[in-house]
Amino acid sequence: MPAGLGIVEGNDIPYQPWALAKQQANYAARATADPERRCYLPGVPRVMYLPYPFQIFQTAQHIAMTFEWAHVVRRIYVNTPHPPGPIEWWMGDSRGRWEGDTLVVDVVHFTDKTWFDRAGNFHSSALHVVERYTPMGPNHIQYEATIEDPMVFTRPWTISVPIYRRTEANVRLLEYECYTFGFEHTWLKPPQ
Amino acid sequence: MSIMRSPVLLIAMVVALVPATARAQTYTPPRTADGQPDLQGIWMPAGTFYNIQDLEFQAVYQTFAASDSAQRGRSLVVDPPDGKIPYQPWALEKSNLVLKNHAEPTAQFLDPNARCFLHGVPRHLNNREFEIFQPKGHVVIFNMAHHTYRAIPLNAAPRPPEAIKLYMGDSRGRWEGNTLVVDVTNNNDQTWFDVVGSFHSDAMRVTERLTPINADAIAYEAVITDPKVYTRPWTFALRFNRIKDYGSEIWEEACHENNERTLELMLKR
Repeated sequence: MPAGLGIVEGNDIPYQPWALAKQQANYAARATADPERRCYLPGVPRVMYLPYPFQIFQTAQHIAMTFEWAHVVRRIYVNTPHPPGPIEWWMGDSRGRWEGDTLVVDVVHFTDKTWFDRAGNFHSSALHVVERYTPMGPNHIQYEATIEDPMVFTRPWTISVPIYRRTEANVRLLEYECYTFGFEHTWLKPPQ
Repeated sequence: MSIMRSPVLLIAMVVALVPATARAQTYTPPRTADGQPDLQGIWMPAGTFYNIQDLEFQAVYQTFAASDSAQRGRSLVVDPPDGKIPYQPWALEKSNLVLKNHAEPTAQFLDPNARCFLHGVPRHLNNREFEIFQPKGHVVIFNMAHHTYRAIPLNAAPRPPEAIKLYMGDSRGRWEGNTLVVDVTNNNDQTWFDVVGSFHSDAMRVTERLTPINADAIAYEAVITDPKVYTRPWTFALRFNRIKDYGSEIWEEACHENNERTLELMLKR
């Protein structure tokens, strides 16, 4: 993955002291502990800035996002309430509304098994994300996510990152299948 | 949803086996905002995901009551008339080896679905619940299992180069009256048609026809062509019934290593 500056406003994530220690332990163990390595669904907002393309389909009632990485799907239902919890979903439950041209998505019902990045930044199942998708031009959306989790952080914090449209004439999503089971013995490649 | 509900499905499938082509097309569905026949909603294939050539086989393996003896050996393969996939001899031998070993598989006989791969076409339409979504210019299909999805553009945009092979292939759709016709190319050789090793190569092409027959049922046919594996094209047919068990939303069902649910479904029958 290419290097990059952080996308956290103010740079520092406001961890509670115990949580900062846990993040540092996660960081030390990241080569094996990152849930991305196990092909788990990556959660929100991480899926939005993984370095793989995604496609948005929409009608008035409903926005669907399909991702190249591990064929992740997000379904965002417009102007409907979250189902009652407790529910633990990898990708949470997303409910959208329009504020002018900005799509605002409220996401709850997470697991505590996903990270925000490969550096061990993490959350609990109490995570609450509010995303804002603001079109800045025909090929450019500013993406913001406010992250709240009173179990882990001392206050809400925000990330902000642009999302650029892929404009190649022949663009289409391809497949990046994430696989951890071992390829050594499949029906196409029986043991020698 | 689990296979424990399958006795209900079995009854539904027996009722559903009238070949799609035998039905008069008299139903006219409503239209979407961009004028497509509206097939949106959540659907359940009334077929068998287990062995597409032998419905009785599924009843035996899933240990619920066997269907009426008249159904013995009924197949979702409607052409050739004997209901058998027209394998070339080497391919029949290979498929039979998986069939023989699938119930207690060693790794090389394990269903690719148990490894959480995308199901491929047409299998993803014969594997439990899916939703049809029709945003402008597209038909998009979302499966509940494994969050498999397939986008079908309704245009003639150039295909990817033939050397690009995909689990879900490359689909192009068009409407012929109320029938959605989809041509699928660029398939890889990693997917099966069912649990027991019915297979194809990366030369497979699929032509699908989805015809709504009333507000709550779609007739589905897929013509499978693969000169590397079969002696002739063959046709697979089943019916999709609208289901309302989930309201209007299908929810997350993840597939990953050590996923107990996947192991339960795929390995412990």
